[in-house]
Amino acid sequence: MNDEPKSPARIGQGMDYGEQADVQQVHAAVQREKREPRVGAEPLSIWLIAIYGLAIFFAGAYLGRYSGNFSSGGLDPMGAPPPAKKAAGGPAGGEQVAELSPRDRGKKIFAANCQTCHQATGQGVPGQYPPLAGSEFTNGGSRRMGMIVLKGLQGPVKVKGQQYGTAVMQPWDKTLTDQKIADVMTYERSDWGNSASPVTAEQVAALRKELASHPESFTEHDILAAPDEDIPGGGAPAGGAPPKPGEAAKPGQPPKP
Amino acid sequence: MNATATGIPLKEPAVSAVAGDTEQLERAYIDASTRVPVLMFYASAMAWLILGTLLAGFVSFKLHEPDLLSNISFLTWGRVRPAHMNVMVYGWASMAGIGTAIWLMARLCRTVLRYPLLLVAGACLWNLGVFLGIGGILLGDSTGYQWLEFPRYAAIILFVAYTLVASWAVLMFRYRRGEQIYITQWYLLGASLWFPWLYAAGQLMLFAVPVQGVLQTAVGWWYANNLLFLWFGAIALGTAYYMIPKVIGRPVYSYHLATIGFWTYALFSSWTGMQRLIDGPFPAWMITASIAATILTMIPVATVGLNHHMTMQGYFPLMRYSPTLRFTVFGAMSYTVFSVVGLLISLRSVASYVNFTQASVAYSHLGLYAFFTMVIFGSMYYIVPRLVGREWRYASLIKLHFWASAYGIGLMTLMLLVGGFSQGSSMENPTLAFSESVETVLPYLRGRSLAGILLTASHFIFAYHFGLMLLGLGRTSTVPTFLNPVEAETSGGH
Repeated sequence: MNDEPKSPARIGQGMDYGEQADVQQVHAAVQREKREPRVGAEPLSIWLIAIYGLAIFFAGAYLGRYSGNFSSGGLDPMGAPPPAKKAAGGPAGGEQVAELSPRDRGKKIFAANCQTCHQATGQGVPGQYPPLAGSEFTNGGSRRMGMIVLKGLQGPVKVKGQQYGTAVMQPWDKTLTDQKIADVMTYERSDWGNSASPVTAEQVAALRKELASHPESFTEHDILAAPDEDIPGGGAPAGGAPPKPGEAAKPGQPPKP
Repeated sequence: MNATATGIPLKEPAVSAVAGDTEQLERAYIDASTRVPVLMFYASAMAWLILGTLLAGFVSFKLHEPDLLSNISFLTWGRVRPAHMNVMVYGWASMAGIGTAIWLMARLCRTVLRYPLLLVAGACLWNLGVFLGIGGILLGDSTGYQWLEFPRYAAIILFVAYTLVASWAVLMFRYRRGEQIYITQWYLLGASLWFPWLYAAGQLMLFAVPVQGVLQTAVGWWYANNLLFLWFGAIALGTAYYMIPKVIGRPVYSYHLATIGFWTYALFSSWTGMQRLIDGPFPAWMITASIAATILTMIPVATVGLNHHMTMQGYFPLMRYSPTLRFTVFGAMSYTVFSVVGLLISLRSVASYVNFTQASVAYSHLGLYAFFTMVIFGSMYYIVPRLVGREWRYASLIKLHFWASAYGIGLMTLMLLVGGFSQGSSMENPTLAFSESVETVLPYLRGRSLAGILLTASHFIFAYHFGLMLLGLGRTSTVPTFLNPVEAETSGGH
């Protein structure tokens, strides 16, 4: 029907909206197109309603489970409202809960730095990395252990009757702070069946100062030459001394309201 | 019959009985009246699309070749990436979406386009706003909030431009004829009111009277996620609701489904966004409320998906011929994929792995490209021939465009999702240094660049084809450009 050629010069001739000339030849696309869309009225399927129910149920359950009791300060989705609010202790109370015991902090530091070689079980790798579990160095005085951790160890070493030493232990004094070294030592000395005294940051600081002039890693000979004793100055070992503020006082239990 | 009988307030055209029934004539008038504004928006959008694509390619290569031109300040990662995103969001997607929305509004209100100057001014100002905004970002004036990076002077111009367009939409709606308001109009009107709400809320709460501290991040993510749903998603769904039944010539399956789909979409989408901040310093309930809302968005997904599917049922073979249908159905299906992926990466158990990884980039691309952009491409294949009076010139170029886009976005999503999961699991692993978690994702980023090349090719092909149409170099024919013309002879109109 509409076979007459359209004016090739239509575009760019200054024609504008509301233009008449070309509308007179109704464009073929408009002629052939289907009529404007209409809407049918099929009913809802029962399955769809079931899906709605399911979605609402799961959304509600999710909201209930992870809402943190809708408390304005609860970052934990599983719920415990921050005891700080109830403890009437002001802002300090909130920090108290978040703070971990030295041993828990040490566990994290161990996982991030030591675990690759000494393994999560503390058993090490035969021939290469000596074990920490049951080791005489770990369970002995903190001085020898501290020397190894701070400055590292190279060459052969005998632990629990086995020969080790194809790998080198790196020094940690440049990487970890006194507090972190104290924490990780405290952890190592108390997990896997070990039961030696905890170590404080002050002790590590004292040892670090003492070893400051020692530039390189120790060998087994150096370590055995040192006395098997705890580092002085900490006060933490041997029961009686009161714990330092900010140390060891909070074993992670929430304070009583 | 006579055109005045339908109430078209125009001079009586010379053609009367020859052209067939008045409906056709009415449509021809309406199409002609929308030509200038719609083509203005489309042409600007195409220009921004090409610019955004070039920027995207550059950004993508920078991720695995970080030293590429990094000594030039305005070509550094921190400026080019937001420039790319904003060109795509405000330059390409918004302008193309508005173009399609204008045409659909005029058609569905069944009245010739009034107040075209509002739209022309809107298009010019909008371009100016995007231009200044991108310039500002490249010169280091970015605000630093995702998708709100435009400096204030550009944002204000953009808002004024938008106000012009939105007031036009409301005015047009007042002049509508016919009793029925079609589904598409719900979505378009919704979008035209939601966008200013989102944009104003974002601008006010972040820049004019900024909220305190970490809450700013919450506002930022709420804005970005809802722009995806309530602005782009609404336009795309409205367009799909028009194009699918229009091309196949069959009513939409169910009015009830459409109603439920629309209102639940509006209600639940606006609650989402905070789930991107899982493990962030926010009260748990805020984030969980967003996750719950994301679960609830499965209701509109199932409803709208079913409605589209039942409408298409029995007509799927038409996708072999009609470019519009092929793009639109691809986009409509991607809506489901986009929402399901969005739900999966929102759940706390999964999000702890993929939060803050490439997976969230995959999510944005699914929404903005696989869903929105593909639907808009489809609508452009339908609308442009009606505006320029020519048919698309090469079926082969349309096919190339489709497959390059489809494979490109598919590959990109896959690479970013898998890359995101592997990145997340290495970030989770405490024995790996952070730098190693970055390295695990490198091969996926190279794959993403490959996908980017496909998309670049597809956009250049489309831009070339579109340029031919603008210059009046399309085919003059009464038969539309089918993808497989020989087989299509018998299959009817388009």
